[in-house]
Amino acid sequence: MNVEFTVNGACHSVDVEPRRTLADALREDIGLTGTHLGCEHGVCGACTVLVDGEPVRACLMFAVQAEGSSVTTVEGMAGADGTPHPLQKAFCDHHGLQCGFCTPGMLMSALDLLHRETNPSRERIRAELSGNICRCTGYVGIVDAVEAAAQEMNTAG
Amino acid sequence: MPSMSNEPGGETARRSVGTTVRRKEDGRLVTGRGHYASDLELPRMRHVAFLRSPYGHARIRGVDATEAAKAPRVHGVFTGEMPEFSAITLRARSALPSYVETDQPILAWQKARFSGEAVAAVVADDRYIAEDAIELIDVDYEPLPATVTAWIAPEEPVHAAAPDNVLLQRTFDAGDVAGALATAPLVVERELVTNRHAGNPMECRVGVALWDGADDKLTFWSGTQVPHIARNMLAELLGLPEGNVRVIAPDVGGGFGTKAVLYPEDVALCLMARAMRGVPLKWVEDRAEHLLAATHARDHRYVVKAGFGTDGQLLALEADVTCNVGAYSVYPWTAGIEPLMAGGLLSGPYRLENYRCTVRGVATNTSPSGPYRGVARPASVFAMESLMDAAARELGMSALDIRRRNLIQPEEIPYRMPSRLVDDSGWYGKCLDKVIDAIGYEEFLAEQSRRREAGENPIGIGVACYNELTGLGRAAAAGPRMPFRTGHDACTVRINPDGRVTVLSGVTSQGQGLETTVAQIVADAVGVAYDDVEVRIGDTNESLWGFGAFSSRQAVIGGGAAHRTGEAVKEKALRLAAALFDAEIDDLRLEDGQIRRTGEPEPLASLAEIARVAYLESNRLPEGIEPGLEATRFFDPIRGAFAAGAQAATVEIDRSTGELRILKWVCVEDAGRVINPQIVEGQIAGSIAQGIGGALYEHLIYDEAGNLSTGTLMDYLMPTSAEVPELIIDHISMPADNPLGVRGVGEGGTLGPNAVLAGAVADALGTEITRLPITPAAVWAAIQ
Amino acid sequence: MKSARFDYLRARSVEEAVRALADAHGEGKIIAGGQSLAPVLALRMARPALLVDVNRIPGLGGITRTSESSIRIGALVRHSALMRQCDHPLLAEVAGWIGHTAIRSRGTTGGSIAHADPSAELPVVAAALDAVVRVAGPRGSREVEAGDLFVGALETSLTEEEMITSVELPIPQRWGFAELSRRHGDFGLVTVVAAEIEGRWRIAVGGVGSVPYRPAEAEALLADGPLTEVTIARAAAATAAGIEPSTDIHASGDYRRAMTEEFTRRALTRATAAPDNGAA
Ligand SMILES: Cc1cc2nc3c(=O)[nH]c(=O)nc-3n(C[C@H](O)[C@H](O)[C@H](O)COP(=O)(O)OP(=O)(O)OC[C@H]3O[C@@H](n4cnc5c(N)ncnc54)[C@H](O)[C@@H]3O)c2cc1C
Ligand code: FES
Ligand code: FES
Repeated sequence: MNVEFTVNGACHSVDVEPRRTLADALREDIGLTGTHLGCEHGVCGACTVLVDGEPVRACLMFAVQAEGSSVTTVEGMAGADGTPHPLQKAFCDHHGLQCGFCTPGMLMSALDLLHRETNPSRERIRAELSGNICRCTGYVGIVDAVEAAAQEMNTAG
Repeated sequence: MPSMSNEPGGETARRSVGTTVRRKEDGRLVTGRGHYASDLELPRMRHVAFLRSPYGHARIRGVDATEAAKAPRVHGVFTGEMPEFSAITLRARSALPSYVETDQPILAWQKARFSGEAVAAVVADDRYIAEDAIELIDVDYEPLPATVTAWIAPEEPVHAAAPDNVLLQRTFDAGDVAGALATAPLVVERELVTNRHAGNPMECRVGVALWDGADDKLTFWSGTQVPHIARNMLAELLGLPEGNVRVIAPDVGGGFGTKAVLYPEDVALCLMARAMRGVPLKWVEDRAEHLLAATHARDHRYVVKAGFGTDGQLLALEADVTCNVGAYSVYPWTAGIEPLMAGGLLSGPYRLENYRCTVRGVATNTSPSGPYRGVARPASVFAMESLMDAAARELGMSALDIRRRNLIQPEEIPYRMPSRLVDDSGWYGKCLDKVIDAIGYEEFLAEQSRRREAGENPIGIGVACYNELTGLGRAAAAGPRMPFRTGHDACTVRINPDGRVTVLSGVTSQGQGLETTVAQIVADAVGVAYDDVEVRIGDTNESLWGFGAFSSRQAVIGGGAAHRTGEAVKEKALRLAAALFDAEIDDLRLEDGQIRRTGEPEPLASLAEIARVAYLESNRLPEGIEPGLEATRFFDPIRGAFAAGAQAATVEIDRSTGELRILKWVCVEDAGRVINPQIVEGQIAGSIAQGIGGALYEHLIYDEAGNLSTGTLMDYLMPTSAEVPELIIDHISMPADNPLGVRGVGEGGTLGPNAVLAGAVADALGTEITRLPITPAAVWAAIQ
Repeated sequence: MKSARFDYLRARSVEEAVRALADAHGEGKIIAGGQSLAPVLALRMARPALLVDVNRIPGLGGITRTSESSIRIGALVRHSALMRQCDHPLLAEVAGWIGHTAIRSRGTTGGSIAHADPSAELPVVAAALDAVVRVAGPRGSREVEAGDLFVGALETSLTEEEMITSVELPIPQRWGFAELSRRHGDFGLVTVVAAEIEGRWRIAVGGVGSVPYRPAEAEALLADGPLTEVTIARAAAATAAGIEPSTDIHASGDYRRAMTEEFTRRALTRATAAPDNGAA
């Protein structure tokens, strides 16, 4: 089945079996391997992307369902000139990643949170990121990073 | 915390070791441009799926794969009785007297010994088609009675070679336990059971095998923590010259020990690649497979008896430890990995003369047990600390006083433990004091009694002291008596013609940031800026040798090798500079990439100028100095470095539900000299979180028939950001006796939480927890 | 972990969807948010021949205030939208307990009700409020009361060719919600909704049987007087007395029964605490 959607602003048309997940289409057909798969049954959050601005498990959506949608992945977070997004920078500064496998999903969930809330407390950050499992960091650096990025984004206006 | 340094192009006169530099790996990982083996895409690549046994124990009467082989877009079907598969087994070897060697097939064919064991494999155009095809394979199973509990006699042994399922048994014996127990004023006896759980890195296992037909070269990309060991074993198993095998571990999404094993699936992929030369074969394990068939850990029972004096002195310890090692002796570490560690370190940081401990590794019809961060000690520390807490309660002492009474002191170092391991730390008391300061002990006690009086939900405190044996050199790594000793690593440091440095290190990284820490060490050892050092790891064609990531060995051993090698190259650069500038070598220093002579304000030359001579102007090379600027050195610390640690937490318990809320968590560890404070804290935080997961949530449960009941992440519960509390982490820095003074910090954090949380619940409620995990239902049942 | 093969239809109307289901003779399945179905497909625990995607059907995503005291939720209203609406505070509160943000942005009201997971939150609300579920089929539409809808674990009285189009729920005057789960966002071990509608108290409990449990005796106990600590305790005990929860890997039956009493007490207590906010 042919399906067309945009990823990080670029239009893609791929021919996929209906059963192919959006995650597999992004990774294997479009070649954007930043979106990771940690469980393929919706629990770990590694595959989280934004579809039409909403956070979505890319392992629980079939590519054919994305027809006409606009998808944002971790590869689309940085500015057009390559400037890292404040969240990306904060994750580096605050040791918000170790192996980095959960990081793309974590960044996407955090991005969605900061779209909705400009000043989340640490408690809020912890609650909102609870759909993303990180096995390495113990979350300390991640919460620090999201807190710092929120501040940075607020002062940058 | 030490100041930041080494912004690109910035001032770099300061040393890099000891500072929090920007991690080299982060730039690619936060932009989605990492190179994980699961991302690998090669021309003509095909995909593999394994068919796995639905039975915990069954005879395999036959496998019919004809339908699968005929399916469209399927390119190969492989089963265990094919001669190239049945000819090879994984046989973990050890010279320990009681050890029963057993064989693990590459694909099970006579018998399946655990639910999830691979029985057949399919190669297809993509993973979807491959999974379709495995459904077409018909296996004729004859179910056998399964054993899932290690302390229940088997109806049908797992291996004929071990009729009682015991693969290994050893007794540690020191002093006179019977005599000491007979006269001890207090004897405490307990039976403690710990829960089976697992590393569960977020990236499951991955392998991509490519057999180049022209010259019989095998390339294996893998998430392995041990590429050199994997190369060595694959070459031997496949009968290839070792130089024909290349193992590459690119970015790896976590390991925690789970990936420090050579798995049958790895070998199967390589065998299939040999049968399908020139075709890259990729297998990405899915989470269900991972939960079923990657190694598990910590399924133990401790029957313990300890004698104490009226002053709380630990007089004797007798223990019987049974470890469920699963269906196979994990390759190459053997079934001894958990039992021997449990017996060797059970007495932990406590002074003890009379010790008798029998450990055994018992096979069952469950996934093999393997190394998992902390190996056995999260369980053994729980056992030891439970005894301490129980004795303290009996004696009316505080949990702190009984520990202080028994902790090995710095002045007793080196201290020979009853298991004959030599403790070089002794800083336990200092760690404990710092922990207690930070937790706010006095306020806690006041609040605890206030609540008791007011009848509010109770709070409790739990403490754990532990020692982590890290960076095991050849003398310390002798325990399991395997045919190899893991004491050393190699490093190559190359100063390129432009004066920048390339390091080919034998370490591997699954998130520990070794590219960064090795670069810091080399930058300082050579005398160049951190940003001018590039580190390549994980490729057996690049680095000479490294045993890989396990036993918190890399900072100590790989770091030690990097340091030694960096110094060796610097020495050559200075020798060359001395000859070129007619200077005394002792008057020269290499700093920030500049050669300086003592007393002169301006540098003599840049390292780049010297390097240029070394590579491009051999006409200027003085007599006796070969071209090039490179060195390779090994390092072996011979012994290990003990790292002291202590943790404490306060918890609140909801009496009506048994729910436990962590109020405060403190951990203080001795990391020796800290290479990168942020990375050290990250390691500690991550390992505490895993420890908390094991103590409260994670549990791999088999039913009596041998089926895994917790086969997805809906049932295997790992802690999220909402469960892991804020962590107060501090360290003391007592330099160890190795070139960098470092101690490993990879695992210590996991050792405390079981004991801390069980202790805290007992302190709050007055009822002991003897079985893990500590679920709300279990706490509630304890209250009733 | 990849789904078995299926055909896919992006339905444009309810009529097209139910026709396709009818034509598939039991081999068709609706996909809405996919948050329950997709994992089941990935594990190959279901293998429909046809997936009928209802996400693009217009008109199913609305929330309508049908009267002063009731509200109609379109089948495609996402959990995240339920959280944001203000007409039905109980639903807003409960929706926040479903999974995590990325689950709630896809998962739908119709999907959750149709999936009938015994530990899911929305079926408990539906049962407590005697929700009326509007269902479309090849031969027109019908209404089913929640009590008649849930017939077993993951089992409803809908036929294979029927589709939920909306759910109508009364807005309670007072309500309380309490849930016990292992981790943040997990399905509840025990979920209790207490709600007062037209002066009558209703209680529903999830997680303790194959379908949400309505304790008639406990509700009757609350019928004749104001909620007090004593009546609440009696109702909670009566609720727990009426169930026989089974033991599974997450909790024993005894524990679930005790928690049913405790969380019923909590839900009722919260209901009395503040008129418009019965949340924890
Ligand atoms: C990690 C995770 C955590 C979760 N946690 C929770 C939780 O805590 N509580 C909870 O309640 N849920 C939880 N869920 C499930 C989630 O709420 C689902 O959204 C919901 O149960 C199903 O809704 P859906 O729209 O996704 O349905 P789908 O998955 O699309 O469908 C589910 C079933 O309903 C059928 N169906 C869907 N729509 C209709 C319709 N309109 N008419 C008839 N049949 C229909 C489908 O055919 C299918 O059989 C969780 C899911 C995940 C992945
Ligand atoms: S891979 Fe999608 S949630 Fe885990
Ligand atoms: S950084 Fe490894 S899983 Fe989060």
